[in-house]
Amino acid sequence: MKAPTPRPEDFAWRCRQCGEGMVAAPVTLEYLGNQFTAELPRCPRCGLVYISEELALGKMAEVEQLLEDK
Amino acid sequence: MSALAAAPEPTASLCPVCLARVPAVYLPRGDQVWLVKTCPEHGQSAVPVWRGAPAWQTWQRPKTPSPPPLAFRQVEHGCPHDCGLCPEHRQHTCTLLLEVTQACDLACPVCFASAGAAAGPDPSREALAANLARAISASGPCNLQLSGGEPTLRPDLPEIIAEARRIGYGFVQLNSNGLRLGREPGYARQLAQAGLASVFLQFDGTHDGVYRILRGRRLFADKLKAITACKDAGLGVVLVATVAPGVNDGELGALLRLGLGLAPTVRGLHLQPIAYFGRYPHPPGPGDRITLPELMRGLAEQSEGLVRPEQFSPPGCENARCSFAGNFLPTAEGGLRSLGAGAGNCCAPPRPAAEGARQTIARQARQWSAPPQDLGSLLPSITPDAPPSLDLFLQNARGHGFSISAMAFMDAWTLDLERARDCCIHVLTPTGDLVPFCLHNLTSSQGQPLYRHLGGGHAKIS
Repeated sequence: MKAPTPRPEDFAWRCRQCGEGMVAAPVTLEYLGNQFTAELPRCPRCGLVYISEELALGKMAEVEQLLEDK
Repeated sequence: MSALAAAPEPTASLCPVCLARVPAVYLPRGDQVWLVKTCPEHGQSAVPVWRGAPAWQTWQRPKTPSPPPLAFRQVEHGCPHDCGLCPEHRQHTCTLLLEVTQACDLACPVCFASAGAAAGPDPSREALAANLARAISASGPCNLQLSGGEPTLRPDLPEIIAEARRIGYGFVQLNSNGLRLGREPGYARQLAQAGLASVFLQFDGTHDGVYRILRGRRLFADKLKAITACKDAGLGVVLVATVAPGVNDGELGALLRLGLGLAPTVRGLHLQPIAYFGRYPHPPGPGDRITLPELMRGLAEQSEGLVRPEQFSPPGCENARCSFAGNFLPTAEGGLRSLGAGAGNCCAPPRPAAEGARQTIARQARQWSAPPQDLGSLLPSITPDAPPSLDLFLQNARGHGFSISAMAFMDAWTLDLERARDCCIHVLTPTGDLVPFCLHNLTSSQGQPLYRHLGGGHAKIS
């Protein structure tokens, strides 16, 4: 199973602080003590990670639902 | 919080003999909490409702009330005599329970409502459909559980399921003893094709000794056949055990291991401490009670640490004192990984009750339905050094997630009207009203029902 692949348009963003183009990089996400890895667009200089709306409202929201208590 | 001792906590209840409304108070007795009340005519009643850790005073999950969007009854006589619901109810409907028949093919020594062979005529399908449409107009979309009696005795059950789906109930679950599911080839598939998602399977133990006592006959082999049929039909199964002290309170670990062994068809284990309404062998004494913390500790001890009490949390939907739940992910090594925050919710700020209801509706529908096809294999125990990918975790949790939960129903002795007002499991009565489950089933020590004589049908123990 592959990690969520950023879409090509996600790399059109530039880091506002550094002006660098985003590059694909392994990122560790954490929620309620659980960690996951994903390959996401990241600023090669400062490490800022871009999370698309699709990812935030899709898979990340689903993880949140799965991990929240009844 | 946990360092504080439990303080006396006033509430209101009913006299277990005459069902008159009386003041009541939760009183700490050592590490136990008892509900004590006095009827001017029938004297004092005292019953244990909580024994040991996790401590009563820590088991909280505050909510701001969410009155029914549409109340069918007005406040006239005061709680609990205006159920329909009334505007003073504090939670929306999470699970609507519809009794489709009063007949049952078992005659269990323990039954919420003395269901059995001598049942009256079933309500017509048209009447059921009209009430389902009326209920959803008041409750909004919620989960539906078809119950009885034994609902599979109704020849038109597939049509009822299909009708409920058409009306707008997205998740339909069947509360069943499983006999017909296991014995009649193709029946489970017929129900699944009609739109059924899940079976709440009465499953009290892992050997026939338990069934002989609680159900009057050997049923274990039938239960396993029902699960196989559900697997073949693509139905999710929740094992539902009525837990009685001295009968099957030593079965908790075995039930958990059996359920995990039959996962992912079995999606969870749900425990119901025995409550005393309808038919039961004798009036209950303190030793006939088992409380939620005892179940949490029993699960931990009997599973040799597969789960721990602190991995369970109070509910976000119903009153905290009504239940506990935890979600888990089996690991490749045979362990269980806890998902979620566990009991860490106790000190969170209050959230709207309806928000908890919405989340529970979605969670139960997802967790208790059949797993998706692309299951993926179990993941190893996850260490911080090697977290799984987001995709792999999602695939795994969707398919292999396993819920462990318990709900403590209230009877005439344990009734707390504050808890009743927070109830999210509502029985749809023949008159089209919504009545909190415990109030609908409640009977006095003399066998007098609080609500069923007003036109309700019969429910059963699981």
